[in-house]
Amino acid sequence: MGELASQKHVQFIVSVEKKKDSFESVVMEHIRMNGAYWGLTALDLLGKLHVVDVGEVVSWVLQCRHDSGGFGGNIGHDPHVLYTLSAVQVLALFDKLDVLDIEKVASYVAGLQNEDGSFSGDMWGEIDTRFSYIAISCLSLLHRLDKINVEKAVNYILSCKNHDGGFGCTPGAESHAGQIFCCVGALAITGSLHHIDKDLLGWWLCERQDNKTGGLNGRPEKLPDVCYSWWALSSLIMIDRVHWINKDKLIKFILDCQDIENGGISDRPDDAVDVYHTYFGVAGLSLLEYPGLKAMDPAYALPVDVVNRIILGR
Amino acid sequence: MTEDELRSEAKMVDLLNQFEHILESDPHIDEVGFVHPSQFFQLNEEAGHSLPSSDSSADGNSVFWNEDHKLGISTQVLLPLYKASKDAFMTANRQFKELNSTSDVSGAENSLCTSLSLDDSIESAVMKHSRALLLLSCDFGTAWHSRKLVVLEKHKLSALLDELLLSALVLSYSPKSEYAWGHRKWVIKSISEKCSTLPEIVTKESELVEKIAERSKMNYRAWNHRCWLVSYMTREQLLHELKRSRNWANLHVADHSCFHYRSQLMLKILEDQCYEQEISSSGYSVEIYLLWKDELDWDEMLIKRYIGREVGDTHLLIVTIFSRNTVDFISPIILDPLSFHFCGIHCKQALWLHRRFLSLFWIKHFLTDHTGLSNHGKQKTCMNNDFSVFMDDELHLLHSCSIIPDNSFDDYQAQAMHSATYMLWLIKQIPDPCRIELQEKLRTENLKALLNKVCPERSSTWDCLTGYVEASDH
Repeated sequence: MGELASQKHVQFIVSVEKKKDSFESVVMEHIRMNGAYWGLTALDLLGKLHVVDVGEVVSWVLQCRHDSGGFGGNIGHDPHVLYTLSAVQVLALFDKLDVLDIEKVASYVAGLQNEDGSFSGDMWGEIDTRFSYIAISCLSLLHRLDKINVEKAVNYILSCKNHDGGFGCTPGAESHAGQIFCCVGALAITGSLHHIDKDLLGWWLCERQDNKTGGLNGRPEKLPDVCYSWWALSSLIMIDRVHWINKDKLIKFILDCQDIENGGISDRPDDAVDVYHTYFGVAGLSLLEYPGLKAMDPAYALPVDVVNRIILGR
Repeated sequence: MTEDELRSEAKMVDLLNQFEHILESDPHIDEVGFVHPSQFFQLNEEAGHSLPSSDSSADGNSVFWNEDHKLGISTQVLLPLYKASKDAFMTANRQFKELNSTSDVSGAENSLCTSLSLDDSIESAVMKHSRALLLLSCDFGTAWHSRKLVVLEKHKLSALLDELLLSALVLSYSPKSEYAWGHRKWVIKSISEKCSTLPEIVTKESELVEKIAERSKMNYRAWNHRCWLVSYMTREQLLHELKRSRNWANLHVADHSCFHYRSQLMLKILEDQCYEQEISSSGYSVEIYLLWKDELDWDEMLIKRYIGREVGDTHLLIVTIFSRNTVDFISPIILDPLSFHFCGIHCKQALWLHRRFLSLFWIKHFLTDHTGLSNHGKQKTCMNNDFSVFMDDELHLLHSCSIIPDNSFDDYQAQAMHSATYMLWLIKQIPDPCRIELQEKLRTENLKALLNKVCPERSSTWDCLTGYVEASDH
């Protein structure tokens, strides 16, 4: 088994930010805030967050802020909870949450809760359990969970549970490992995991492991993909069923997806690397207690020391 | 065309004008794609032209190709074209927002509709440039949002319907686009409040999803869109969709999303029936009972379809599928191992998972419900008989799927694994008295032995699952 090419991955992540000469890179500029979160969290897990200029990042994040309290994916782009959580997470990594008008950000997020307890992603009303997770995680990081009806939020999430034990994006939607992470994460943060049939959900999740490669997929009949080494694995950890999968084979799968020469991790072995899969590969390895990486919190998707500093105040 | 030239601003604007002109002059374009310059010649040949039917840049190189309402954009110009359309859109959008700034934009769509009269030219610039931009960057949310604001201004059904066309066009090159699907939903919700042709639209939407699902396998957003439509369907439409999607599923037995869609259709029919039942209290209709039974039989037929088929060559497998044109005509096709893997026939996990759903509801609604109706001894015996017959059938299926010939392929191992985990799952789900009866016929340790035989690398998983099933025995 190869080893994690940490130094190469750091170089890759730093270089991604500088590439602005291809269609493939500029066409992602509307989600730059998510990209910043993926890249910077991976750097922190690798112990190299100090290679970036904090002042530059914080100033750019603040330029994406709107009067409503929400954040856009880049300067001049409309606000959405997807980017608002990433902005809060990036500032949390640098211990810079104090630059925010916390009341305003919390009001924006809380204002998106609907009567049935669900959350819209922005003023246009699209509803998804991803947005429930985002709202709950974000408000918890800001110590403002009291601004929403948590009971209703939990009940809405539970209404998205399927007979197979999994969760979808809305009631009746197909179970999906990404959505399961969001639902389980939100329930974990609000102390509501007792509502889950952990064995039934664990069953569904452990069937995501491919017998041959050891990689995890996100749904039945799909190919394994490194990103589910985060979504499915963190869910298994939160419900205490991670021993239902073969961890060694999963570690090998992630390591096999590295570009050893130029850094970066891809979805599957020999595919093109990107910052999204690099982050989820490193985060997955952290959950698997791979040596040399900072520990990751499975619910907040932030390094454990960052979560402890914010939630426990230490 | 050199890169230096491309970078010059004037050329970029020319390029954008050319692009937008094509979009204006052919409003019926229904497919767009990015084409490598070397493919232009081939496209012209296929269209039967000796002369290029494409729009060219100043130096004669092809940049756009437009024929039969299909639009190809040269990959060579994507970067400058994107930059130009983004700049043009962002400028127009800023002006549009400045005009709006007197009004409260924070969420009150209605106040926007009534209190503003906007400059038409700015509105049309927003629409023109956002369309160009979204055909290059499908999830540029700000562009979709601005279109919604403009459409709301217009108060016209036709303006809403135009948005469905643009969204479909974006999905033609990016079938997973989150925003394009979200935009459709928003349009349909807006229409549903005031439109009498909703059933027609629902049918068309369902057809669109099917078309997209054909080339974008297990597309989560596409199938979710179809599941979402279920709530708008009439009973007739539900039954029609059930029939229609069965034909599709026959050809795509590995598409789990399609089976999930079927489960949603069936649950809606069941739910509507339960609602009616409360009024009439006449019990489940024979129709629904038969519907469920038929689905179980069909699922079993698909599971068994490829078992024991003679395979002459390890690299080529011959399977029979229904032809696309006529459902009755059966034609043999040859698949290579790679596409075989993707179409998943050799795993058939989706069929077994669908069976878990079917059996769970079968037991819940058609077997155990008798006890709720009456405690009469005769009825109870009847239920136990029903259950015995059902489980004997399932045990028989398990048996036929767990025979592994000596010189067999992975297919047999996978089939045996899926059948064994299916039975384990079922044992766990069924109510206590039935479970005890079943476990007299089938021991969990036998299932574990089978699983360890066909898939020894997951032995710790099988330990956990059987341990969990056994733990609930008492």
